[in-house]
Amino acid sequence: MTEKKRVITRRDFIRTGSRVVMGSLMGFPFIRKAAGQTSEKSRVVLIRDQNVTAGYGSLKEEILADMLDQAVAALFGTTDSAAAWREIVKPGDIVGIKSNVWGYLPTPVPLEDALENRLLEVGVDAKSISIDDRGVRRDSVFKKANVLINVRPMRTHHWSGLGTLLKNYIMFVSAPWMYHGNACEKLGSIWQKPHIKGKTRLNILVMVTPLFHGTGPHHFSRKYTWPYGGLVVSTDPVAADATGARIMQAKRNAYFGENNPISPRPLHIEAADTKFGIGNSHPDRIELVKLGWQEDILI
Amino acid sequence: MIRCLQIRAISVCLALCILSFIALLMTQNTYANSLEGLQQRLPKHVDAWTAEPQDRIFDRKTIFSYINGGAEVYKAYNMRECLSRRYTAPNRPFIILDVFDMGSSQDAFGVFTHDTDGEVIDVGQNARLRPGWLSFWKDRYFISIYAEEETKATEKALKEIAGQVAAAIPKEGTKPGILARLPLEGLQSDSIRYLHHPIVLNYHYYLSDENILSISAETEVALAAYQVGNQEARLLLVYYPEPEKAMQSQVSFLKHYLPDADSTGAALLEDGKWAAVKRKKQLLTIVLDADSRELADRLLKSVQ
Repeated sequence: MTEKKRVITRRDFIRTGSRVVMGSLMGFPFIRKAAGQTSEKSRVVLIRDQNVTAGYGSLKEEILADMLDQAVAALFGTTDSAAAWREIVKPGDIVGIKSNVWGYLPTPVPLEDALENRLLEVGVDAKSISIDDRGVRRDSVFKKANVLINVRPMRTHHWSGLGTLLKNYIMFVSAPWMYHGNACEKLGSIWQKPHIKGKTRLNILVMVTPLFHGTGPHHFSRKYTWPYGGLVVSTDPVAADATGARIMQAKRNAYFGENNPISPRPLHIEAADTKFGIGNSHPDRIELVKLGWQEDILI
Repeated sequence: MIRCLQIRAISVCLALCILSFIALLMTQNTYANSLEGLQQRLPKHVDAWTAEPQDRIFDRKTIFSYINGGAEVYKAYNMRECLSRRYTAPNRPFIILDVFDMGSSQDAFGVFTHDTDGEVIDVGQNARLRPGWLSFWKDRYFISIYAEEETKATEKALKEIAGQVAAAIPKEGTKPGILARLPLEGLQSDSIRYLHHPIVLNYHYYLSDENILSISAETEVALAAYQVGNQEARLLLVYYPEPEKAMQSQVSFLKHYLPDADSTGAALLEDGKWAAVKRKKQLLTIVLDADSRELADRLLKSVQ
């Protein structure tokens, strides 16, 4: 007998008294595990440094690279970052770094450079490394890549609620708009495709100056960014996104002075957990390690 | 006989001339009302800013390459084309003018209601100004004017561009007919949203992860907030192409949202608010978050 799909409504949130967090993933009452999903907690490292930004659009490159190193060492439980990078890649690997070029808030170039440098230091051939976004399907390195590193800034999004690590892989499919249905709920399915599945060794959600609100076709105003100075790093993209989503929700509530749900609700994060078994979205199944600057951490 | 043929030939020529003239007038009128026709009348210079030589025009497929997934909002309102013109000035932030041809004034109004925050200004048929972004609608066009940075100079330029674009659109359009069904008493006019996509509804008022009201391109939806005295509520109207669809949606709403509704279709929710549903032919009326049963009943009865 097939299980009928449970329809979740606003009423469910009202019933469980979790209305105040509607739009985030906290306290979601119906979370279930997808088949094959690990029962282990996902480790997520949140590292912050208040000095990483030197004004909007200007980054302290050395601080950013150091944050990255500290985060991977904490993530893999190694004594130094070099050992962590050796767990992420081997010298013979072919590595695609999936970046994001959205004009108003792209993946910071210094972070891309730091990632490339760390790969080179491990011994990965320079010709076996590519950094790309919209050209990944045509890129010869990405076509052969056995390792993917996923790095993008966190922002609100008109249709999916949030621009996330999960959403960053939409460029790996030929018809991205096919995944826009129901607030991009099925983005997790992209991660199950044979040319993607099992290849992602590291996910970095850039929250240096996240965009917590947006309107209009260009969906960007500097007014709605803030110097959070953070990176959210995990091998589990769902756990990293869910953590980032909680921070975004807290920022919106603080900024607007009332509960202001991320809208539309970012269904794709919990669906990646409950439907596609990509990772863990619920805080109970996330081990959050906080490093660095703690003030106004929002989580 | 020859004279008769001559008269007939002259008559045919005259008729052809008149038809050609009418066709020419129609073509000119169509052109004048088209995005291409409007393009010729858009400002090329405003204050220190000058339009770049080439505009870009996007259709329903290529719009994704311009505004990524944000394009879904405009597609949800049946966008036909979008013209984008970029203005630059030395050492000043760039300005982008986007003219969306929505195909109908109803959808131009609808997409305008997607973002109604900001200061009301007198441009087009309704306009809003926020820091760095001005939007308005007129006829079947939705206009967005975006500045990279918000400064006094860019704000002045945004208003100037908006005024010139509004003047270049020759006529005004009508609002969606469903709005006339909204009761006037207590209506918060700034809260009105018009839509026909479930995700857009969820953007404004999260109802369900599934499309329990079967909202589609064929349905018209109006959502509005009410304040009567010190009591508040929201009203959702959904107009379906056939009564059967409205009836199915009523059943679906009762099943998934109000399984505990009484015989009148009303229920007291766990947060102390009231919700209620009523159908009349093709129109489904839903009251949400009402502070009292009396207000819910009053709104249900007031819908035209």
